[in-house]
Amino acid sequence: MAERLDLTVDLGRGLRLRSPVLVASGTFGYGFDAPQVDRAALGAIVTKGTTLRAREGNAPNRIAETPSGMLNAIGLQNPGVDHVARVYAPVWTSWNLPVIVNVAGDAIDEYVAVARRLDGVAGIAGLELNISCPNVADGLQFGVEPDLAAELTSAVRAVTRLPVIVKLTPNVTDIVAIARAVEDAGADAVSAINTYVGMAIDVRRRRPVLSRVSGGLSGPAIKPLALHAVWQLAQAIRIPVIGVGGITTPGDALEFLLAGAAAVQLGTVNYTRPEAAGEVHDGIAAYLEEHGWPDLGSLPIRSAGVLANA
Amino acid sequence: MSVAIAPAVLVERSVPMAGAVELVVYHPPSAGAVRPGQFFQLAVGAPHTILRRPYSAAWSDSTRGIIGFIFNVVGAGSAWLAARGEGDELDLLGPLGRGFELDGTRPAVCIAGGLGVAVFPGVVQALVALGRKVTMLQGARTAVQLLSADRFPGADVQVATDDGSAGRRGSVLTLFPPPFTGEGQGRGIDLFACGPTPMLQALIDTARRQEIPLSSIQVALETPMGCGVGTCLGCAAPRREGGYLLTCQDGPCVRADRLDWDRMEDQFHG
Repeated sequence: MAERLDLTVDLGRGLRLRSPVLVASGTFGYGFDAPQVDRAALGAIVTKGTTLRAREGNAPNRIAETPSGMLNAIGLQNPGVDHVARVYAPVWTSWNLPVIVNVAGDAIDEYVAVARRLDGVAGIAGLELNISCPNVADGLQFGVEPDLAAELTSAVRAVTRLPVIVKLTPNVTDIVAIARAVEDAGADAVSAINTYVGMAIDVRRRRPVLSRVSGGLSGPAIKPLALHAVWQLAQAIRIPVIGVGGITTPGDALEFLLAGAAAVQLGTVNYTRPEAAGEVHDGIAAYLEEHGWPDLGSLPIRSAGVLANA
Repeated sequence: MSVAIAPAVLVERSVPMAGAVELVVYHPPSAGAVRPGQFFQLAVGAPHTILRRPYSAAWSDSTRGIIGFIFNVVGAGSAWLAARGEGDELDLLGPLGRGFELDGTRPAVCIAGGLGVAVFPGVVQALVALGRKVTMLQGARTAVQLLSADRFPGADVQVATDDGSAGRRGSVLTLFPPPFTGEGQGRGIDLFACGPTPMLQALIDTARRQEIPLSSIQVALETPMGCGVGTCLGCAAPRREGGYLLTCQDGPCVRADRLDWDRMEDQFHG
């Protein structure tokens, strides 16, 4: 690839990534379990959702494959923020790769406590607030109420110097209203979108496949839905939008970038094709080069003309 | 962990028993690395499927560089794999997980229910090679669903079928404990088991009644699986002290005393 190509992305508050390709929360653990992935191709890792105390997660079944997608209801199984700060973060300092910790909780106080614990910890580049995890009791409400989403965002903003990204749920009537609320409350960027709530039924046993009945739908099945959400958001807010939802190929990623996303996250594809992140990175670079564009800012989405034809 | 995504070539396809397919794939690095009980994630190209399918290696031959997989056709993914022809490339991720711990001197008894037998050709071969006395107990619904006894050279093979069409009528547990254990019942042997969760639970119940220590039983777990490498956390199995093990990382072969059998679920594999 030509040296002159610049694929860096600025997500605000000093969070500059060398690549617009990130791996999505819950699909890459804490970065330790997928040795076959080429970390050099990644802009950043977003970790598994992390709560104040360790959580054991939901009973099985936790996952189910559905047409072009999968459902999951893992239940935020994680070792707790203290373990992340003490054991994982020191390792991350040597990776030359930004690690963004996804933060989850049941109450604003829990998010604030997690953010406080991670503030100033070497090896952590930013926070992504999971205000939309559909798999734990009450997890949904922060993401569906603009006022609550804003209150949570500003409470976290007040206790950390780290960049704060808010991951939006699509299970709402008006995702733009939520995004505007968190932007006004001090979010540096948003990730759009989290999984859609869905379910599957085992007809042989006549009961839901997942132990929690419903779960989050991810994978190529939701890509057009995610893309439209990103398209709407990119026109409505000024902070960067990180597109996520079913991205599998370089072409998928380019669709999100052309819809106005500043960066993309790869999720479910990491389970099956760990080499996808590298391919997407290279595909974006090849596309820019083919069109003679030196950087991501040259993509024509930023011109009003493209948007006007929506 | 040495994990490779490897193009492997399908060199032989056969039907080892009714409803099942056996694929022999040529991939010397994997054939040399895999241990009995470990598994691979096989990519499938069936329309609208996205996840790899986890299959234990049935056996491997490092000299010839080949691995065998035996599986039932149960859905779109397994049907796609079963339809591959000789010469086709397959995409393997692995070997993954923990295999059986085979070292020891006590008699070894392998217990397989249904397709659980798929993991045992390589296990039995390795146990025999270690000089252990090996008994293979195999159960199936009916005679044509049994894997041929000549797949277990060196082992004493006994079978049971639900319909009585071969061997003893009933579940594989009607064969347990094998007669040689005598009055001591199943104590003093090492057990290796794979099969449907209800069968494994029945084995555990039997073991408890006969005061067979659960630490002498190793089970190969089958759970729905997403990634196979520990990132998706989808393949949970209840741990005795609370919480969950991951079948892909802590298993699939685990000692039975590490599991909470009261919380074991018969999981959906559609």
